[in-house]
Amino acid sequence: MEKARRNRRGRAILSVAGVLLVLWSAVAAAHLEPEPAGSVGSAAQQAEDATQVGVNERLGAKLPLDLSFRDETGRPVRLRELIVGPTIILPVYYGCTNICNYLQGGLARTLPSLRPTPGTDYRVLSISIDETETPELAAKYQKMYLSALKVPFPPGAWHFLTGDAASIRKLTDAAGYRFKRRGHDFMHPVASFVVAGDGMIVRYLYGTSFLAKDLTLALIEAREGRVGTTIRKVVDYCFSFDPASKSYEFNLLRVSATVVLLCCGGFFTFLVLTGKRGKRNSVGEK
Amino acid sequence: MSVAESKQPARTGFWSDTGKSGIGSWILSTDHKRIGLLYLYSVLGFFLVGVVLGVLLRIELMAPGRTIMDAQTYNAVFTVHGVVMIFLFIIPGIPASFGNLVMPIQIGARDVAFPKLNLFSWWLYTIGALIVLTSLFSGGGAPDTGWTFYVPFSARTGTNVSLAVFGVFVLGFSSILTGINFVTTIHRLRAEGMTWGRLPLFVWSLYATAWVQILATPIIAITLVLVIAERVLGTGLFDPGRGGDPIMFQHLFWIYSHPAVYIMILPAMGVVSEIIPVFSRKPIFGYKMIAVSSIAIAGAGSLVWGHHMYTSGMSDRAVMVFSFLTFIVAIPSAIKVFNWVSTLYKGSISLEAPMLFALSFILLFSIGGLSGLVLGAAATDVHVHDTHFVVGHFHYVMFGGTGFAFFGAAHYWLPKFYGRRYREKPALVGWALMFVGFNITYFTMQVLGIRGMPRRYYDYLPEFADLNLVATVGSWIMVTGLIIVVVNLWRGLFWGESIGENPWDGATLEWSIATPPPTENFEEDPVVTHGPYDFNKGVGIP
Repeated sequence: MEKARRNRRGRAILSVAGVLLVLWSAVAAAHLEPEPAGSVGSAAQQAEDATQVGVNERLGAKLPLDLSFRDETGRPVRLRELIVGPTIILPVYYGCTNICNYLQGGLARTLPSLRPTPGTDYRVLSISIDETETPELAAKYQKMYLSALKVPFPPGAWHFLTGDAASIRKLTDAAGYRFKRRGHDFMHPVASFVVAGDGMIVRYLYGTSFLAKDLTLALIEAREGRVGTTIRKVVDYCFSFDPASKSYEFNLLRVSATVVLLCCGGFFTFLVLTGKRGKRNSVGEK
Repeated sequence: MSVAESKQPARTGFWSDTGKSGIGSWILSTDHKRIGLLYLYSVLGFFLVGVVLGVLLRIELMAPGRTIMDAQTYNAVFTVHGVVMIFLFIIPGIPASFGNLVMPIQIGARDVAFPKLNLFSWWLYTIGALIVLTSLFSGGGAPDTGWTFYVPFSARTGTNVSLAVFGVFVLGFSSILTGINFVTTIHRLRAEGMTWGRLPLFVWSLYATAWVQILATPIIAITLVLVIAERVLGTGLFDPGRGGDPIMFQHLFWIYSHPAVYIMILPAMGVVSEIIPVFSRKPIFGYKMIAVSSIAIAGAGSLVWGHHMYTSGMSDRAVMVFSFLTFIVAIPSAIKVFNWVSTLYKGSISLEAPMLFALSFILLFSIGGLSGLVLGAAATDVHVHDTHFVVGHFHYVMFGGTGFAFFGAAHYWLPKFYGRRYREKPALVGWALMFVGFNITYFTMQVLGIRGMPRRYYDYLPEFADLNLVATVGSWIMVTGLIIVVVNLWRGLFWGESIGENPWDGATLEWSIATPPPTENFEEDPVVTHGPYDFNKGVGIP
């Protein structure tokens, strides 16, 4: 009798608790707001822009290396001759009065602090997206940026290419880089990409300023196959690519928490396994 | 020879039985009791510095506008008050001083597992403290970031943040080493018969605390190194302009600093669990649950750091999860409170000084804990975040909780180590003034916070003036009580009435040995036959 009453009371408490939990979840769910979205108009505008100008990342895709351009001396070159190792490609146009200068200037500021050697470990290609630009103009800009580097830089390590509309389109389409002509100027994304020696796109870099660590790591990735597996794994673990900021971030939380937890777990296991020892510190030991 | 000195006969036990004297016999001693007293003097000294700074802050807030200091000085004073109180007083306060004094004796050991490491920890503490103090008077002046050192301000301010942060980094190592030492001691050096089920609850609380120290402190060490790197090398880890993330600093900081709150409160709970049964003449109610709840608080408390960041821009889902986990921590805390109250029920309660401090701990900690739930619930937190409500809340928990327990422990255990005791009447008067002044000060702050007065501002709107005046007067009452308590303790321990082995009729092992204890604690290794609160069976040894 007493037991049955206690059981009933137990069930009653449980059901009250259950109802409270459900209510709490419902209230909590009601407070879960969706991510703030912009107005309908601005979203539609963005969608339209996105179809014409932007970057569809094609990581792992290969650039057609048999495309032909002209270098700053006017000599016709195939991409295959220039892309023989890790290469940073900057789609720009030399007549740009705005962002392309910042992009190339930003790279010129960062290149001297990179550990890999220019020319042997990596190359840089500025490629004009304007088919009307000439090798003379390209040569002028090469001179300007190489002198902006302020450190000796092999001229063959940073080429400034021009080409015809078809080659440019083939190249940018392969990289998912979409731009649009508007009069003498272009609407285009501020992005560059790093490719491996076989033309495979390894990483996209956004914005006009470059972090030395971002570039170095992208170049290391581009060298994949030639770099030892162990180093590659360590780098992969310590540095994860953050898709939101499009930048490498040292994954501190993961590394430090793992180390601390492993040490503590090991310490606890050691104490438990070795147990209480009969040996105690006594007068003689002190 | 002065009158006072002539009244003070030579002390026995560990004070004199090694035959060594002079400062070297203290600062190079590996005896856990001497190291415990070194810690006690150090933390008490810093506590008094912190109190003076706190009183200055209250005087500044007595009236709107500039009262005694300008805004920049106010920023520096509240930062130093926080840094000194948290890193130099509360964190090492009970575990390093009373833990060192009492814990080895309570488990029947002659010393801690690594006596030299123990001394090294104190040296690290001293060096860290000196670095922190140096930072106040050198470079660009005292840090003005608040004790939390939040980026981006801490990475940019011209004040001497790098040195202060380095000092705290060194203090962290002292904390880790003490934790490792205590865990090893409790595992390895328990006397025969001292099973896990017979450990005094103070030891259980120190065990849980030590694990938090070992697990969480490395994180703050790394974080502080990163702040220095940010300032000196400009690494940009916390700078969004260079791909970093300032919120990451807040995560890293609170992953340590919230568990650190439990480093501060758990040993205090242990002290209360020792005092309440002794002064109620009843075995503790729910021994196992109190012991397990210490571990549960340490475990769950390590997962709630995000509740400091509800307004920092976390996702709603993260806010809900952290809010839920915060409420979970209330459960083991409440288990302790209910068990203490149940222990009091039908007990033969004796209201002496240690008991008064323990009882006020229960009340003040409960108020602090419940106001913590107001902050743990995301909806209400948004309203009172960064107001004086938060200041009132953590003073209730940290000072009303840990601070009162610290003085409870001082009244309870120090006579054992000095062989003399304080006078009861001044202790009661001092306690009463502290208790009344405390509530006037901090309860008023909570009301101010709910009405919208922000924290960390040296000025405020005229409508807050009356309550601020009340809070400031409350702080004077509290400090008067504090002075009476400290002076009474000091006089009593050096010139007071002598006491025997077991003045409170306690049943834990420290009451079974001579007063003051000899250097090796036990003449022969004790054999424990029953639990720590079986008062009918005497003190643990047949």
